[in-house]
Amino acid sequence: MKNVRMYTLSTCPWCHKTKKYFTDHNIPFKYVDYDLQPPQEQEKIEQEMSKRGGAVSFPWVLIGDDLVVGWNPAKYDELLALSKASSR
Amino acid sequence: MNVESRKRSLRYFFAKVVEPLGYKFTPDAELAEYLLEQETHLEEKHGSPFCPCQGLTQNHEANMKIVCPCIPFHREHFDYMKRCWCGLFVQKDVSDPDSLPQISYEEFRKAKDASGSGEGR
Repeated sequence: MKNVRMYTLSTCPWCHKTKKYFTDHNIPFKYVDYDLQPPQEQEKIEQEMSKRGGAVSFPWVLIGDDLVVGWNPAKYDELLALSKASSR
Repeated sequence: MNVESRKRSLRYFFAKVVEPLGYKFTPDAELAEYLLEQETHLEEKHGSPFCPCQGLTQNHEANMKIVCPCIPFHREHFDYMKRCWCGLFVQKDVSDPDSLPQISYEEFRKAKDASGSGEGR
């Protein structure tokens, strides 16, 4: 199974939905609420986002090496299905 | 000013700004209430009603582009999605906001590049 980690905002309803999606599908994930981090940590997160060519938009979800920015359950489904296929 | 009163003021002001841009409040009343409430908290903490779904950075100029309603700063991107990033506003002809996915700026740009048009940031 691919590793899933995400950057989220505590104020963002789409981030809450994203966490719920992975919880409901029993997919383990790690998350960091960007807005609750100290400025130095936020800067590190921004650098990672920028390195991957993204704006500071949330939810920011990394499924394996695939980045999905935004609430997009169809894309999560697709990437998780690929993940299941490749782990066979 | 209490939260409910500030939410009412923001709603009144925002409606006047987004209407001429071709947008309206999302028909999802629960979502709108939640987002407006988050904005009042962000305003209390940071001085402006920033978008609850975009991150504040140390870059003041970039932060000013996510003060709600931020549609004018992201016009082509949001027009492409038919909604703003957080979904507080949708285009006037939208009746089913759940059918509109969030499309990242990068995806939007790629689609626009492929069609030979786009916007800078």
